[in-house]
Amino acid sequence: MQVEVSRRKFLQGSVALSIVGGSSVGVTNLLAGPDEHKSAQSGIPSTITTKTSTKKAEDIPYLCGICVNKCAGFARVEDGIVTKLNPNPYFPKSRNMLCARGNAGIQTMYDPDRLKYPMVRIGERGDGKYKRVTWEEAYEAILNGTDKFKGIKQILDEEKDNRATIAYCNGEGLSKEGFEVLVGEKIGSPNYVDEISICLETTLGGYVNTIGTYGEADLNNADYLICAGANRAEAIITPDTMDMFKRSKGRGLKTIVLDPRFTNTAAKADRWYAINPGTDLAFVLALTYVVLTEELYDKDFATKHMDGFEDYKQHIISKNYTPEWAAKITNIPAKEIVKTAREFMAARSPIYYQGRRSVFSKNDFQLRRAMAIFQGLSGNLDKKGGIVYGKKLALPKEEINAPMYAQVEERFDTEGIAIPSLKTGSWIVLRNMVLEGKNPYPLRAMFMRKHNPMSGVPNTKKTEAFLKKMDLNVMIDILPSDTTMFADVILPEASYLERTSPVASYGGLEPAIVQRRAAVKPLFETKVPEEIYRELAEKLSKPLWEITQKYDEDVQDDIKGMSAEEIEKYYKQNGFDLAEPWEKPVHEQNEEKIVEAFGKKAWEILNEKGVYYPNIEEYHQELNPNEFQYYPENKKHYSTQGDKLKVKCNLTNLTKKGVDSMPTWHDDMAFSVPAGKFRLVTGRHAQFTQSGTTNNMMLRDLIPTNYIWINNQKCEEMGIEFGDKVEVKSSIGKVTIMAYPTNKIAPNQIFMLHGFGGSSEQMEMAYGNGANDALIIEDKIEPVYGAAVMHETNVEIRKV
Amino acid sequence: MARYGMALDYKNCINCKACEVACKEENGVELGAEKHRIWVGGNNPDGQWPLLDIASAAFMPSQCQHCEDAPCQEVCPTHATYYDENHVVRVDSDKCILCSYCMNACPYDARYVDDRTMTVDKCTFCSDTRLARGETTTACQNTCPTKVRTFGDLDDPNSEISELLRTRDHFSLKAHLGTNPKLFYLT
Repeated sequence: MQVEVSRRKFLQGSVALSIVGGSSVGVTNLLAGPDEHKSAQSGIPSTITTKTSTKKAEDIPYLCGICVNKCAGFARVEDGIVTKLNPNPYFPKSRNMLCARGNAGIQTMYDPDRLKYPMVRIGERGDGKYKRVTWEEAYEAILNGTDKFKGIKQILDEEKDNRATIAYCNGEGLSKEGFEVLVGEKIGSPNYVDEISICLETTLGGYVNTIGTYGEADLNNADYLICAGANRAEAIITPDTMDMFKRSKGRGLKTIVLDPRFTNTAAKADRWYAINPGTDLAFVLALTYVVLTEELYDKDFATKHMDGFEDYKQHIISKNYTPEWAAKITNIPAKEIVKTAREFMAARSPIYYQGRRSVFSKNDFQLRRAMAIFQGLSGNLDKKGGIVYGKKLALPKEEINAPMYAQVEERFDTEGIAIPSLKTGSWIVLRNMVLEGKNPYPLRAMFMRKHNPMSGVPNTKKTEAFLKKMDLNVMIDILPSDTTMFADVILPEASYLERTSPVASYGGLEPAIVQRRAAVKPLFETKVPEEIYRELAEKLSKPLWEITQKYDEDVQDDIKGMSAEEIEKYYKQNGFDLAEPWEKPVHEQNEEKIVEAFGKKAWEILNEKGVYYPNIEEYHQELNPNEFQYYPENKKHYSTQGDKLKVKCNLTNLTKKGVDSMPTWHDDMAFSVPAGKFRLVTGRHAQFTQSGTTNNMMLRDLIPTNYIWINNQKCEEMGIEFGDKVEVKSSIGKVTIMAYPTNKIAPNQIFMLHGFGGSSEQMEMAYGNGANDALIIEDKIEPVYGAAVMHETNVEIRKV
Repeated sequence: MARYGMALDYKNCINCKACEVACKEENGVELGAEKHRIWVGGNNPDGQWPLLDIASAAFMPSQCQHCEDAPCQEVCPTHATYYDENHVVRVDSDKCILCSYCMNACPYDARYVDDRTMTVDKCTFCSDTRLARGETTTACQNTCPTKVRTFGDLDDPNSEISELLRTRDHFSLKAHLGTNPKLFYLT
């Protein structure tokens, strides 16, 4: 084998074209802003990368916040500066590792473009003109507005205390729940959207409704893996990524990868099938057909644990989902489908990997159901080497004293959705119904935190129009994202290395409790989210209570004839005191919870190690510098379900909602691209977390921009060469991006990395770099939950 | 006194570049796309879509091979490149005159210029950071998600690396050049 070992020659078409001359960004960029701040601020390193010293340093246990995984680490702190992030060997989920992004988290904290102090808009939305204010002035602006925008008090007064006129959104993270408590439970808005409807809603829904859990794939003990549409080498999930590739390539875990693109995961596979986008369901149905007709399934398991098995068997066979039928739809040869089905069932511990990603096609819910049922046919559920249910260590539940508002109306984003989510709704449906005037009452304010729908939600123009329609936009974040630029009030948050977060419990085979401790104090004038929640709640509490008293007849009846003192008591007892959940700071709340659940010693261990689980001191062992034992083999929670274990093949109650009760192929699901067009597929890379890290200097060195992958032979036909500028146009918009001709994609498809093409001029590295796919992905939804469908847009391309 | 080397279970590598970033942060490596002490090499798969050759697309983590007979040390006119007491190939920045002979001599392309110090820079096995503090792993080994790397003392028969090299097949890069690298690729 001849492998290229020279410096950085294999680049997926990246650095070879040095569009911005690398990032020879000088230290002078650090702390751009008023000079007085430069001198006043200690705790900022004088160089971009800081060589660790031999001096004594503190190692503070923290949880990474650069993506969803929450890997554990220790932050090395020297003289108040974080000089290095090291992996934490105690956390079974992240198994002593930090990825490139995790390591580069330092650069996000010390990003010169950080939001440093509260700001209030003085220009027009989107033009980036803000005035620096004090925290009190910022809260005041949220309450009472300025000459540029209305405050929440006026809005709720005009809307007669209908709290549903406020909407809110938050991306994932450990402080998200607190924001839900503040705006949802306490302020009383039902109109919440988060990342779930632009992410894996159908995966979770499909699995939970079919086998009762999303589960954990025990990849350490599996021997056969179908990894379809899950790019674990580039979209890193812990512990799956670490476990998957240690035993691939003929070393115990036979790996079959299905992906329209040849990904880094495909490069580690035994076989790669270039499946047509959106046709995985046909593949699984055909696998199922082979297994049922050849009677290869675990009959004992089917009898004991599979509800509606006979219905399903009859359904699959009568529909004639043969490998030959699927071959035409999927682009995978029939004999390969047969071979894969037989190998899967012959394996000791086969896993059809559940995957974890955005919704790609409209049939994704049914795809997940079919995958879960297929896993059931192998009987490899709730056991070692299979998809396991595991256990979770329970933490004391927080009681939220949520007030009742009589005037609040219900959420309305249900159009075109069979099973609307009451909690998190649908981003696209909520936004589009407002833009189309289909909302039964006005939506007037958006409270946002750590969320960038301008990049994340398909159809950026509509998101911009939606944000512009609001009377008040509030954003809590760490960087001036594209969405932040449409905020009226910006509240700067401490990054994850500057804050102690609520303790979290991670379930699974080896459950654990983890705590993020602040490595350093909040930089600049930023504050930890829970402090912001408390202060904002304190500011809003009484004025909003006045409005409730003015319009809420239930409250009026209740307090009729009460003295001022009694009313104050009523206000507190009935939860109208909005700040009450944050009376105690996070670390105190953490201590109380842990001591109550596991005792004082557990709290000491958690503070020192960042991780706790019962018997950790006895169980945890270093096996060698690369491997640790978290739980002894006989204490891992491989099998927890017993007779409760059920695979629900036929969900008859779905029929009345207009959803197929069993996974069924419909002809309109077929993949087709009109002549002259291309199907747009999008995805992730191991060096970026969506738009959240595109301003990170360190990561920019690794992937300076996004390119459009175009089939190399197609490029020859079209006269397109590497680095050529190409216009990509869909029915909703167009972008310009540089070309990367490659043999790793089909002639009728194109690919671009998600998260680039930032429009916020306040982010120096991200601004205008590459293309934003959300500008061209059509805003289509799948029919079950209303989740955004990412891979159903056809585009035209031309060299410009 | 030790004779440090590293074994790489390179088939685990997914080209995620965690090692490269950990190295840069630990050792204060200059930023810039061409400035790195370690990197991952690899090939684009051979063939035309969809019949691509998976085996041709392997990833190969690479860096200074810490040769026992290092061509870079041999050609250095100022003795800036030297073997330290642990047989690690090091560069003394006070002596380096940036003549770049070492860069040309190195068959592994392991050296680059640090524009801040105007010195040829390269991997040090974290000798002046982690090892100097008494730690026993390099930054790249410690952070690696798929645990490609094992660092240790080749002279200690009880070390992890000695055990690995006794029990696993392995090869060296460009072995025919006689540089005797102390990086070993496990098969």
